[in-house]
Formats: sequence, C-alpha cells, structure tokens
Amino acid sequence: MISRAPVSWSTAWSAVGLIAAIALPWYALQEGLDSGAWISGLWSSEDYASGLAQIVEHGKWWLAPVLLALVVCLGAALMPATRQRRGTLLLIASTTGLLLFVAQALGISLHGWTAGWLTALFGELDTRQVGLGAGGAVVLVTLLSLLSIGLALRGNFGGDAFVAGAATTVAASIVLFTAWPILRILVQAFQDGDGLLAPALLVERLATEKIWSLRCLSGGGGRCGVAWNTLFLALGCGAGTTALGLAFALIVTRTSFGFKKTLRVLTVLPIVTPPFVIGLALILVFGRSGLVNQFLEWSMGIEPTRWIYGFQGVFLAQLLAFTPVAFLVLIGVVEGVSPTLEEASQTLRADRWATFATVSLPLMRPGLANAFLVGFIESIADFGNPIVLGGDYGVLSTEIYFAVVGAQLDYGRAASLALLLLIFALGAFFLQRHIVGTGSYATISGKGDSGLPTPLPDAARRAAIWVALPWAAFTLILYGFAFVGGFVKVWGRDYTPTLDHYAKAFAVERAADGLIWTGAAWNSFWTTLKLAAIAAPLTAALGLIAAWLLVRQRFAGRGTLEFATMLSFAVPGTVIGVAYVFAFNVPPIEITGTAMIIVLCFVFRNMPVGVRAGMAAMSQIDRSLDEASLTLRGRAPQTLVYVVLPLLRPAIVGALVYGFVRAVTTVSAVVFLVTAEYELATTYIILRVINGDYGLAIAYSCALIVLMLVVILLIQFAVGNRRLGRRAVALGGGRT
Amino acid sequence: MSVEFQNVVKRYGRATAVAGISFTVESGTLVTLLGPSGCGKTTTLRMIAGLELPSEGRIAIAGRDVTTLGATQRDVSMVFQSYALFPHMNVLENVCYGLRRSGQSRAAAAKHAREGLLQVGLKDYEERQPSELSGGQQQRVAVARALVLKPSVLLFDEPLSNLDARLRRQMREEIRELQQRLGLTVVYVTHDQQEAMAVSDRIIVMNAGRIEQQGSPRDLYERPTTPFMARFMGESNPVRGTVRRLDPEHVLVQLGDSGIIVADSTATEGEGTVAIRPEAIAVEAAPGPAGALAGTIAKASYLGTHMEYSINTAAGDLFATCPWVDRPFEVGNKVSLVLSSRGVIVVGR
Repeated sequence: MISRAPVSWSTAWSAVGLIAAIALPWYALQEGLDSGAWISGLWSSEDYASGLAQIVEHGKWWLAPVLLALVVCLGAALMPATRQRRGTLLLIASTTGLLLFVAQALGISLHGWTAGWLTALFGELDTRQVGLGAGGAVVLVTLLSLLSIGLALRGNFGGDAFVAGAATTVAASIVLFTAWPILRILVQAFQDGDGLLAPALLVERLATEKIWSLRCLSGGGGRCGVAWNTLFLALGCGAGTTALGLAFALIVTRTSFGFKKTLRVLTVLPIVTPPFVIGLALILVFGRSGLVNQFLEWSMGIEPTRWIYGFQGVFLAQLLAFTPVAFLVLIGVVEGVSPTLEEASQTLRADRWATFATVSLPLMRPGLANAFLVGFIESIADFGNPIVLGGDYGVLSTEIYFAVVGAQLDYGRAASLALLLLIFALGAFFLQRHIVGTGSYATISGKGDSGLPTPLPDAARRAAIWVALPWAAFTLILYGFAFVGGFVKVWGRDYTPTLDHYAKAFAVERAADGLIWTGAAWNSFWTTLKLAAIAAPLTAALGLIAAWLLVRQRFAGRGTLEFATMLSFAVPGTVIGVAYVFAFNVPPIEITGTAMIIVLCFVFRNMPVGVRAGMAAMSQIDRSLDEASLTLRGRAPQTLVYVVLPLLRPAIVGALVYGFVRAVTTVSAVVFLVTAEYELATTYIILRVINGDYGLAIAYSCALIVLMLVVILLIQFAVGNRRLGRRAVALGGGRT
Repeated sequence: MSVEFQNVVKRYGRATAVAGISFTVESGTLVTLLGPSGCGKTTTLRMIAGLELPSEGRIAIAGRDVTTLGATQRDVSMVFQSYALFPHMNVLENVCYGLRRSGQSRAAAAKHAREGLLQVGLKDYEERQPSELSGGQQQRVAVARALVLKPSVLLFDEPLSNLDARLRRQMREEIRELQQRLGLTVVYVTHDQQEAMAVSDRIIVMNAGRIEQQGSPRDLYERPTTPFMARFMGESNPVRGTVRRLDPEHVLVQLGDSGIIVADSTATEGEGTVAIRPEAIAVEAAPGPAGALAGTIAKASYLGTHMEYSINTAAGDLFATCPWVDRPFEVGNKVSLVLSSRGVIVVGR
C-alpha cells in the first residue's frame, strides 16, 4: 500500500503536466492570467495558445519532444513494472524532457535562434519565442517532480519521493534564481553593446585608472580608484566591527557588567533599521548644517565643512551599522568556548591571562574569521551609506548603480564592475575558508558542560569596557538625534517642533466614499508591506527545507548544495540586483518590472541566512528523533511536520522575522528592480535623502521601524514557543 | 524467515562499513549483532531498519524484498540508544505517534498505546513528559512505542548503554522476558559480550565489516574458530603450541613440557595458535602433578570473588582466575598449572 504511493504520484504529476500543456497558455501573457482573455484564444491565438496548440497550429515544433517526454512518463507510470524499472524509465524520460526543455528555452528567443551556429545548423526560424508562461512553468515543475519520483523509486534519497522532491526543488531554484543570474553577469561582462562576445572589452572596461588608481596614497589630494576604495573600506570595516563586536561579546558573556540587557537591545536596533538611517543621523550631527559644525561656528567662528562626506563618514556609518551583526556572530562563538577547557587550562598552571591568550582566543579564531568575513561582505555590499555619505568617495556598489541607472546606461560596464565586486566577495569567502580550514573547533557538543565561564583578565576587561561603552553611548545618541530629526521643521535652520513630516508622508483624508490615502509614502509603504509579507514565509520555508536536507538527509550532491547556499551568502546584494536585471529581462524568463522579480530577489537574497539559522537549530536536535519517527511509520513530510517543525519553532520565528525585516530594509539589491508601479519604502527614502528632504526620510524610517517591531511581535505570537515539559530537557543524545 | 541479508555491502565514499554479509533471522528469535565499535553492526541494524540503504546486495523482511525501500515503508520498528522520545510530546502521545501515522483513529491509537504501556509496566505515566521520567522508564516508553506497531522485526540499538550497571541487568531481563512472552522477532545490537550472551538465541559476531562467526552463545564461547573470537568472547590467553591428531575426535596439544588432550574434530596438525581460558587454569603450589606447566607468579590481585594471577611460563605469560581466595599465592611463588581440556581451544595456525 505505502510503497505504491510514489507510483500513483507519478501518474498524477504526468497528468498535471499534460493538462497544463493542453489547457494553459504556454507563453507569458502581457496582461496576466487573471484577466481570463486567454481562454478564448487557447488554440487559435499565437499569444494565448497552449503548448499543444503552439506545436500543431503555430509551428513551434521544438516543443513537441518535451510534451512527448511527458507522455512517455505517463506510460511509465501506468504500465506494470518493478519499482526499479519504473524508476529508471521515469528518470530517463524526465531527464530527456528537461534537457530538451532547457535547450529550446535557451536556444530560441525573441529573434529566432540565439546563436549563429544554431542558425547554420537548423536554418532560419521565422517564428519567435517570448518568455515562459503558466503552461511552460507547470510543465517544467512537472518534469522536475517526475525526475525526483524516478530517483526515489530507484532507491536514491532513502527511497523517499518527498525528500527527492525537496532536494530537486531547492537545487533547481538555486540554479534558476542564483546561479543563472550570476552566470549572466559573466556573459554580459564579456559582451559589447550588440551582444557580441568581445573578451578584450572586459579588460578595457576594468583596466582603467578610475578603478585602479592609487594616487590617494601618494598624497597631494589625488584620488584612488573605486576598487581600492571598496577594498580599503571593507578591510577597515571588517577589522573594526570584529574588534568592537568581540569587546561587546566578552562584556556580555564574561563580566558581571550590569546592563547586559540594554546592550542586547542595542543589537536589535540596527537590524530593524534601514541601513542608511545611521548615515542620515551622522549627517544630522556632523554634516554641513549639523550640530557639531553649527556649534563650532557659533562658539569659535569656524566655517562649516563637509568633512563627514567621504571615507571617514562611510567608514563610521558602516562601523556603527554592522558592529551589532559582528556582535551577534561573536556572542555565539564566545559562548561556545567550553568552560571545561578553560578550567582544564587553569588546573595546568595557566593563569587567567595565559588561559585567555592560549586557549580561549585560539578557540574563537574561526568565529573571528567568520565575523570579519561578515563585516567585509556587508561593507562591500552596502549601497545606502556610500550613496548618502560618500561624496566624491566612490565605491563599486555606487559605481554600478550609476552605470545602470545614471546617464551612462552602460550594462557592460555595470556587469564588469559587478564581476569585480563578486571576485572581492568570493575572494574573501575562500580566504576565510582557507584560514579556518576544514577542521572547525566546534566545542558545542551534546554532552553537558558543567564548568563556569572564566572571568576575563582585568586588563582585557577594562579595555573591552572602555572601547564598548563609549561606542554604545555614541550609537544611542545618534539614534536619538535621528528620531528627533523627524519632529523639527528644517534641521540646522529651524528647530521648531512639528508633525509636518509625518503628515506629509502618512496623511489620510476622509472623503465621501471612504478614506483617501493622500500621504506621499503610502504607495511605497503598502507595496513594501505586501511584497515583504509574501517573501518572508517563502524565504523561511525554502531556507528551512534546505537546512533540513543539508543536516538530515544524505544524498549525492549534498556537499555541492551546501556549498552553493553558503556561496550565495557571500554574493553582494548589488551583484544580485544587477544580475536579476540582466537575467530576467529577456526570454525564457521575462519578469523585469513585475512584483514577482522583487519577491524572488528578496527570497533568494535572504534564504542563505535562513539556511544557516535552520542548520544551526537543527543540528542541536538529535538525529535519532527523526529516525524514530521514520521507523514509526511517519513518512518524511510527516516527520517534518510533527517532529522537526515543533522543535524548530524558535528557528522558524527567526527565519520569518529575518525574511521580513531584510525585505523591508534592503536597498542594494532592489534599487535596480523597482519601478514606478512597484516602489519600495527604502528606495523611496533614499531618493528623499539624495534630494535633501531629511525630515520626511526620517519620519518614514521611524514608521518602518515601528512597523517591523509590530510584525516581529505578531510573528512571535503566532508561531509561539516550543513545549518541552516542565523540566529543562537536553535535546542532545549520542549514537556510536 | 523474518530477515534475510544476501551479500549486503555498504560503502560511504571510499570507506567500506559492511563488506558483503549474508545471514538470516528466524521468526520469534532474538538475534544479537555483536562486535567492537566500528565493526559495522550498527550500520547493519540501520540497513534492516531502512535508515541506510545498501550499496550492493539484497535485503528481505518477512519474505518481501525491501532493498530499496525507506524506513517508513518497511514493517520494522526500532528502539534507539538515546531512546529518541519526542521531547514535545507526553508519554501517551509518544506511544500513539506510530499508530496515528499508520492511520489509526485517535481513540484506537490511544487504546492500543495504553495496552502497550501496560505491557512495559508504565500504566500510570501517560501524562508525563519524557523529561520527567528516569532512564529506565524512558527506555520502557521507547520499547512500548516500538512494540505497539506489531512489527515483523523489532530492532534494538545498544538499548542499555545509557543505564547504570544494576539497571542494565534488570532491563535486559525484561526485554528477554517480553520477547519470549510475545514471541517477538528481535535484532539486538551491542558491544557487550556478556549482555549478548544473556539475551540471545543466536549471536552474529562482526569484525571489520564482516561476519566473524555466528551461532548460539554456547557455541561461540566454547568453540571459537578464530583468535579474534577467542579474544572477543570472554577472556583468553593466546599461546603457540603443537597440535597432533590422536583420532578423528581428539587432538593432543603440546604446550612446552605439558601436553593435554582436547576434543576437536577439525584442527590441522603442526604448530598453531591455542587459546586458553583463564578459568581453565588451575593454579597449584609447585611441584604439581606430572605433565603440569611450571610457572612463576608475576602479579596477583584480590577481587573479592576470585583471585587474578599473571604467571610467567615456558609457553608465555598466562592470565588465570582462581576461586580460592583464602590462601593466595604471592608474587615470586613457584606454581604449577593444570589445564582443564574444556578451556583449551585450537583456534588456527
């Protein structure tokens, strides 16, 4: 009975695919599916025709083998055969179908064949192919499902079709929405304006003085190239945030400092703040008409300067913005150092300082390298702060923006710069892996660790406190000013308290036929809320499924999949944004300018963090719990629902919150994807800041922060906590 | 035949965990997979469960080929070393879990689960959380949870290793009693030779991914076929000796000056390895009877129930246990060793 399940699934999927090929328009529609206009033209109209109609009526002969593969699958599903035979047949048919599907999608585009040799081989085509629509997409999904069922029937993935399907889904979506766009950047970087390959052009684009000049080092007011600018900033930011983060982490875990809760709250603030708010606050305090300059002019008559704009401003803003991230990474690391090891060291005649220097710090080294990597990548990916505070100090992310959006409109240049940015990020990623090595000093084991954390040596404690506390105070003061800035008329000139900025952004008027949302911000606010609310559950689901596969399932290609998700974590948002523009504005996937591309960008941009959080949470739950469920007749999906997910509630909350918050606050990836119709809050605010309209920008940012806090509470409330009995329970356990 | 393995191989990348094993488990018997850690016994058990699928070979359970089926699709259930009780469910919910997944109604599942809890003597613990139970009670819940599904085969993965010594003896007796009362087919994994001998109808000893020897506990202890077996099943002293066949049923084993006649129908003549059980060595004051092995006491320890001696002899250093504790020998005493033929085993060349 149970063993028949995958067999009937294969019948069902084949049928779904064939129905979609007959009853849904194969290509994308201009007006969308919900208009219903396509139903009458399903056979006759070339725009609306289904897959079958395209073959028979409209000369799209290349779709025929794909549909034929589906028919073969249905045959394989229905005929009597052993599991093994049926699986092999399904596997062969679906793989062939998939390969043909991809080949025709990539080979034939708007202007017939996409490559000269194809034209030479098959002759001119007089028909053309637009982006994939509902029919094509369903057929693609069907083929992938049949492929998974075939694999499961042959005994791969533990013989479980659900696991096979999940793995295929995750792998295919990563290929489609991360690997493929990045590959497109590579291609674009080598192409000239007409789409012809010109490798020399890449060298020409990249080997300019604007990118590589080192004149700032020789003094005399020369400027360095954007590549060096980016690198200097990132190295500084990585080192600075790691040092500050470590100071905070040590204070919280290893001293009896009294305001630990406050420090923890401080770390939440930057996570729910759009990344450029700190930059804005710096302008309010140190800018030309900021408080410091005004005070100096008033007290000593010093002319206001623009000194905050440039390296120092961006650096300061990034340190402020990303130190909490480093803190969050490092607090886990510091807590993970086993107290028993430190106690062992002390019983071996090492004093506190020697213990700290020779045992604790070396054990933290992988964590420190990780924190540095995070700071480095956050910095090179940052777009908001450099554009607000950079002034003449250009970095790669802003250069790319101006190449795509500005007057230059040079996609090739943008792609080349994005490639450079990608190389920096991946270089740091591989360097970090090389330093940390494959052997990690994982000190969190399932066994109970009864030792007490060793207090810091006095000198280290004093240093940490003297670094961290002024910094915390500085951060708080900046946030305070930013908050106040939303309530005064014109910062720097007229400090009269006012609610005008909020009114301008969020005015609601009562009219005869209900409320009218007249505020300037409402449009982008609702769009942001809607898209983030769609993206967050998708992000969490995909991330947790991927984590579950990586931690709990053993299958061929698991290592590659894990590496791919980790790698996409290192890809800067700017690169993703540009890549999406290149990859998805031409067939086979044509979604530029839609809400879908923004949601997809949110999901695949934020998924890697969901994966990491999920993996961390899942590896704390003993594997034998899953196995117990499996041997107790719970199939993989049931095990996931009844055993894994209830134990993972904190991770689910985390992934949902993160997916939502990052979707609301992200700038770098989506500046390339927004349109007038789908404008997002952050991009709207950035434009206000660039126009000098600080009051409105701050008011809007504060509203966003409140929104996110409310949503976090709602998610927490909805998902709830896990119930583990009255006594604390160890989720660990061992198997020899 | 409840479980049948045919030439099953399991590889992880280049490493081979199980290197081609075949065995069968008869219905209604308790068969133990025994071996040192890393010998492939747990992998073998997990292949019966369907938690690992074999790289080669064929597995059948209750006459059905299940080689490519996952755990859910096989008619087996398992008691885990860590018990793997779901920490977010109470005792009754844990025991109901498998019944509910098999499609039983809530009421029917609860009824069967209560019967299962009664079997293991945990009638009044339904509402407890697993964290509120002692180790032995958690163990029983795990057994009940696996039992109520009435599987063709019930699997135990080192079930007693997390219990203290006293409780271990009690639990192994309970498991054996339950198995015999309900006529269950059980495959049991352990690395503890005594535990295996106490519970099993048959023992399969594994070493380095292969089956070293299988048979009843008495067979394995009294007739080990390899030096590894002699070492692993109980203690033994490996020494070199000369074997000479006297008649089809008996051989003469010559150890230094001493010769002993041993019942054996398979050993080949010539020099070979001989295992001597420590309890088969009677230690007497020198000079002993003719044909005894002369030696000197090198170490002596008092263990309450018996004495343990290390003795230097012409055949090598021997380890012996001796039940007479009243007047023990001391280090340096000359002694004479009389071997009992039941504890002298020719184990190979």
